[in-house]
Amino acid sequence: MMSHHAQEDDDEIEALLRRQFDGPLPDEGFSERVMRQLPPAHRRRTVVWPLWAGVIAGLAACWSQLLPSALLHAGWRDWAGGQLSAPAIILLMLAAGMSLLASCWSIAEADKR
Amino acid sequence: MTDHNDRAAEARVDQALVARVLLGHDRRAFEQLLRRHQGMVRAQLRRLLHGDEAAADDLAQEVFLLAWRKLDQFRGEARFSTWLYRIAYSCFLQACRKRPQPAGQVDEGEVEQLPAPRQAIDLQLDLERAMQQLSTAEQTVLLHCVHLELSHEETAEVLAMPLGTVKTHATRGKAKLRAWLAAWNDAAGKEKTS
Repeated sequence: MMSHHAQEDDDEIEALLRRQFDGPLPDEGFSERVMRQLPPAHRRRTVVWPLWAGVIAGLAACWSQLLPSALLHAGWRDWAGGQLSAPAIILLMLAAGMSLLASCWSIAEADKR
Repeated sequence: MTDHNDRAAEARVDQALVARVLLGHDRRAFEQLLRRHQGMVRAQLRRLLHGDEAAADDLAQEVFLLAWRKLDQFRGEARFSTWLYRIAYSCFLQACRKRPQPAGQVDEGEVEQLPAPRQAIDLQLDLERAMQQLSTAEQTVLLHCVHLELSHEETAEVLAMPLGTVKTHATRGKAKLRAWLAAWNDAAGKEKTS
């Protein structure tokens, strides 16, 4: 614990040091010199084609694997007919899971920016 | 309290300018940031370089060019000025590694051996001399804590130093100066009585 006297001494030293410091320097053309040296801003180019190529390739692979499956056909038919069968529920849960993943990804990306 | 409010307002202005630079690569906004902070960054570097104006301005230019390039790394957790001081101190350390500073530091205790000044008008000059007798770490910590008015926490961040070490250097530095000041007061008192 600092005594009152020591605190006063500290304040005195700090006041002396502050008086000794000249403070911020005048600009005198410094900013202009820096602005002349400033390189052009390079925009962060986001290359989007690999993302879309990956999405399309993924969808195509899924489609080719699921197309011959009876589960997809049955699920789709029951879903369209408003019947909550096991294949329709599986399909529904898959769609919900994909949406949830996409939402989490979007939120994470938004936080980074 | 007003000082705290002023600082908060200044920090908000800086944040807004940084956002403008990042969103639109707005050079005018960056120029405003530059004009707002160049004075203190240059003063910091001039002190660190013991008054070498040309070297300090060269380094300061490097600091702002780096800040322009790395502005997207400023997360707004600290004040913008603290972030700039951190870059400036890193640039200073790099420059020191390239071009070692002449050794001239004096160990602890030597401040007490300084001859007491003869005239009151010499106080500032002698204080400057006493400052130069402190260790480099004590001088650097006092520069940031007292001259640049950073908190101990901010100083620790700028100097990449543990908070306890910053507090120790600040206390020791001030204690040495206090001891010197006591000698100066005694000398001034004797002059008055004689």
